[in-house]
Amino acid sequence: MKYQKAVFGTFSVLLWVSAFIYSCKDDGEVIEPEFKPTPYVFPQIPEFPTILNIPEDNPTTEEGVNLGRYLFYDGRLSGRTHHDSLMSCATCHIQAKGFEAGIDHPKFQNGHPVGIPDQEYPNGKPTPHAVMPVVNLVFNHNGYFWNGLINNNNTQLGSTDYGVPALPQYHMKNIESVVWMAIVAQHELNGDIDKTVETIASIPLYKPLFEAAFGDEEVTYDRIGKAIAQFVRTIIAYRSKFHKSLRGEASLTEAEMRGFDLFFSEEADCFHCHGGSSLMTTNLFYNNAKDTVFTDPSDRFAVTGDPTDVGAYKAPSLINAEITAPYMHDGRFKTLEEVIDFYSEGLVYSDPVHPLMKQVHSGGVQLTEAEKEDLIAFLETLTDHELLTDPQYARPADLNF
Amino acid sequence: MIALKKNCMLTAMAVLVMTLFTGCDDDEVTSEGSMVFRFEHKIGGSSIAFDQMKFENAAGNVYEVSEIQWFISDLTLHRDDGMSFCLCDEEEFAHYVDTDLEETHQWELANIPAGNYRSITATFGIKGEKNTPNLFLNPPESDMIWPYHMGGDQGGYHYMKLNGFWRDLEGKRQPFNFHLGVGQDKDQNEDPVFVQNWFEFELENSSFTLSGGEAVAITIDMNVENWFRDPHIYDHNQYGGMIMSSQEAMAKGCENGKQGVFTINSIQNQTPL
Repeated sequence: MKYQKAVFGTFSVLLWVSAFIYSCKDDGEVIEPEFKPTPYVFPQIPEFPTILNIPEDNPTTEEGVNLGRYLFYDGRLSGRTHHDSLMSCATCHIQAKGFEAGIDHPKFQNGHPVGIPDQEYPNGKPTPHAVMPVVNLVFNHNGYFWNGLINNNNTQLGSTDYGVPALPQYHMKNIESVVWMAIVAQHELNGDIDKTVETIASIPLYKPLFEAAFGDEEVTYDRIGKAIAQFVRTIIAYRSKFHKSLRGEASLTEAEMRGFDLFFSEEADCFHCHGGSSLMTTNLFYNNAKDTVFTDPSDRFAVTGDPTDVGAYKAPSLINAEITAPYMHDGRFKTLEEVIDFYSEGLVYSDPVHPLMKQVHSGGVQLTEAEKEDLIAFLETLTDHELLTDPQYARPADLNF
Repeated sequence: MIALKKNCMLTAMAVLVMTLFTGCDDDEVTSEGSMVFRFEHKIGGSSIAFDQMKFENAAGNVYEVSEIQWFISDLTLHRDDGMSFCLCDEEEFAHYVDTDLEETHQWELANIPAGNYRSITATFGIKGEKNTPNLFLNPPESDMIWPYHMGGDQGGYHYMKLNGFWRDLEGKRQPFNFHLGVGQDKDQNEDPVFVQNWFEFELENSSFTLSGGEAVAITIDMNVENWFRDPHIYDHNQYGGMIMSSQEAMAKGCENGKQGVFTINSIQNQTPL
């Protein structure tokens, strides 16, 4: 009889649940969620990578990208509202400069940014490295920053050095992580998480933008990072003269073509580090024979602990190289001519030098003046002029801070 | 009690149906298995100690290895009955191996026809007709690009990058890039003639049996010292640090590659993938 009761009881529960579900449908109650943001469609570009670096917990949506664009340009992102203390991502990542600071930045001498001043650093704490452009990052799977500290294999939560709490949502893996760090880093926005959230939440403009992007008006640090990361992932440079020539939409001049041949030769050998794909970088790390003494605590060695990574840094993309001076991790070169001269005659040997720097004992690849001019002519074809003025990446017209 | 009886009958029927299905499973003949190829890199029969200037090649060059990146393609399994199973036309006909990337050290293949196989052959690099621009759009494979003007209209990709250092005649630690790919015959006054340097190789002692539903794991060694030994003694002091423009050096390297660079380390039956 116990068995009978159990069977009967089970059937009763099932009937009750079924009836409940049925009645819900009859009453027309809402079952499906209303929040349906529009998926962002990335352009399909011939010759470009097809695998995108987008975290599962932050799919790219039109609404998220739109919110991210506002936040990217909003000088109040640090939590400050005074006119003299405004700073945003766009302060150092300027569209007209290929989302780099540029050597002629109105605030930062020689393209070397400093953070928002505080008592400890009345003139602002200098950034440890030169600015890297935030372009084509959606195709990068090999870590962010010059040393690749932020990468998919990093298991660290938060950053106590920067003030990002060690909470599960604050991973150190992706562009979201870079945003969280940038807001609080003393050498960048030098902000405070609570103030940032409070300030952004107090701005009426953002309420509908957050609701459209995330389903409700709540402002969180996590959402701020996600929205800006979504916007940054959409910044793609693929319309340079060089890229168009690959698609048969433009022709290089004779000088540009000679430079192209040099670039992709083993004698000048730019391509092993910078030419692996249309991105003009492998996104890998190399000691490129700049120095013999290494004192930077933030080189690639700091991330891997591998002695061969001492003095190694990411090979940056050469897209927009013409307008993204200064060059190298420490911004030591102010012009492309200086860079070419370095690779031609300025290499110095050290034990951790990368073996791709095979002419290091000759001081470099020994280019003639004519070859240098051709190489620069080719490098200038890598500028995506359309990106620099594309309205989809521009400051929102109704954002005045 | 009626309900109880009905439940008992339902249970009995369920058991009967399950028994029937189980019986079907037992009778089913699986005609395919799976394979996993593992790649190891050796010098003198031992795993390479990277970045250590401790090896000596046949020319007497003391050298070290920093990294090796290479393609194996068109893997073909030859059965006793004369049939061959080739991955030549598969979408993933080539596999990229990178000593710095652990995930590339293994190549898993499913749906391999069961049978007794007498040998394995493969291509080092990528055959010319397949080695075309934009074959690989994503890194790390795309980073193996071989410039078009160094390989004809096809360009394509390096077969291998073997990077390291050797101690030159002056005692300097010189970088070398032993890069193999499409060569250029520059003896003529006209445009260079491009030379396909890829080669096929047969792995000795590579017979194995693959049973249906089973898996076989095969470890292939690349014996790096043999790139520099037989039939040509390859001297870094003669060819220097870069050889992409030297068909003579690349030809010697590839001819050496056919002689014992690739060998079977082990063949093991294992739990299906």
